[in-house]
Amino acid sequence: MTMLPRSTPGSRKLGLVIDLDTCVGCHACAVNCKEWNTGGEKGVLPDYDKYGGQPDGVWFNRIHSYETTESGCSRTVNFPRSCLHCENPLCVTVCPTGASYKRADDGIVLVDTDLCIGCKLCSWACPYGAREFDEDEGVMRKCTLCVDRIYDESLPEAEREPACVATCPARARHFGDLGDPESEVSKLVAERGGRELLGELGYRPTNRYLPPRRATIAAAPLEAPAQTGRGIGAALLGLLDRALSR
Amino acid sequence: MNPAASVLLLTTLTGFAYGLLAWIGGFAAAGVPPRSPGFAVVGVVIALMAASAGLFASMWHLGRKERAWRAFSQWRSSWLSREGVAAVLVYPIAAGFAAAAWFDFGGTAMRALGALTAVASLATVYCTAMIYASLKPIRQWHNPHTATDYLIFAIYSGAALYATLHALAFGHARRAAAITAAAAVIAWFAKQAYWRYVDGQTPLATLAAAIGLPESIEARPLDSPHFTENYILREMGFRVARRHAAKLRRLTLLIAFLLPFGFSMIASLTPWSLVACTLALAFAAVGMFVERWLFFAEATHVSALYYGRTI
Repeated sequence: MTMLPRSTPGSRKLGLVIDLDTCVGCHACAVNCKEWNTGGEKGVLPDYDKYGGQPDGVWFNRIHSYETTESGCSRTVNFPRSCLHCENPLCVTVCPTGASYKRADDGIVLVDTDLCIGCKLCSWACPYGAREFDEDEGVMRKCTLCVDRIYDESLPEAEREPACVATCPARARHFGDLGDPESEVSKLVAERGGRELLGELGYRPTNRYLPPRRATIAAAPLEAPAQTGRGIGAALLGLLDRALSR
Repeated sequence: MNPAASVLLLTTLTGFAYGLLAWIGGFAAAGVPPRSPGFAVVGVVIALMAASAGLFASMWHLGRKERAWRAFSQWRSSWLSREGVAAVLVYPIAAGFAAAAWFDFGGTAMRALGALTAVASLATVYCTAMIYASLKPIRQWHNPHTATDYLIFAIYSGAALYATLHALAFGHARRAAAITAAAAVIAWFAKQAYWRYVDGQTPLATLAAAIGLPESIEARPLDSPHFTENYILREMGFRVARRHAAKLRRLTLLIAFLLPFGFSMIASLTPWSLVACTLALAFAAVGMFVERWLFFAEATHVSALYYGRTI
């Protein structure tokens, strides 16, 4: 059913909090995501031309690196991009078949690949580019928040988290209930000023991104200006400085 | 956005088909019954065949064609589903209208069924347009021009088809061709207004906002997640060179509107109505296809921002 479940205050909203300050851009989350989900109950995540010149395939997680500049200082920001499990997901409401749906009890957005007709409209409706088409099966695929891991009681409790979170060597990814203001992830968001992406479009994403901390180094410029003074020594130094800084 | 042939065929063919039904039904509703029962029946059959061709074309691009029937279920939220339901409803309604014309049911029944046919046809066109107009990440579609233009273009292309059929059946199409010429002028202005609107738009977001940073920070791509094209770039990152787009816009104005306007005027004022109407229809068909190609190719999607594209 593509009608959205009624969102009640205090209802569970499972999602990710991603720390752009500590993400090192190693792609481990994307790799482990691919590894876990390619063996999942929905079958393989396809790869096309895998050993050829134009390898391509379906990934639920894509890691971009950007250079950002703020008041003259630049830095690298690594940005993992995946489904944000929005509260107002247009990808769900545009679906003509009911294959796309949002779960009422935990807010996870899923595709039932047995119902999907592969019209691709949901991928057009997502501003985050989170859905990718499975050319082999002719259906749409997306991040499941590892729904087949987080509720698996045969796993030790500590491992019941999405594959991307479990593998992150920098601990830049956090998983939890963002609907509960007392949860660890909600506290992290409050403390670090976690941000939602493209809020003005009105999708109300659940996932939050923690912005990079300020990275300005208060140090004196390396090239100190030549001492000014009187006398032949200062004049010679001034001459030398001009010659060297030409 | 990737201009897939299946979707271009769907939207242009259904434009002609439902436009024709709107005219035939509309005339009957206004108390101008078809000049002959056969004309109404043939018109309805041709319209439904063209609509079916468009609907079948749209199925090419489905990943799982055998499940297409499932698309009728989510009409409460999905414009694509509503389009499917409306398109199916048009068949019995138009067939009922054709039967009324053939068996000469007379005044009230003809008027009511004609009005229903016209409304159901235009409602289907509106649903098609709203599929695109409801997509927030695409600024060139998510605006009031989209649905207005789809309706205007359907009425225009339907008029061109109606005039040609009229000339074919009765040897002249004075009034129908004059209506087509007037519709071409309206369509011309609608398209110009659309281009003026989208050219004046600002991008929906900046890259900094897309990655959750304040607007004061400038961001540019450093490393891409992958070094070959993927689904997102193929589907959402389609780009048309500005130079080509300008050329195609001029070509659209010429082929889709100006030439059909000229030939419709000739059809209306001279005895050569069949030849002129046919030429007007042929140019309108090619022109509307080019127009629709541009509608897709010039549309940009917010997700392409992540790859450093301008949107």
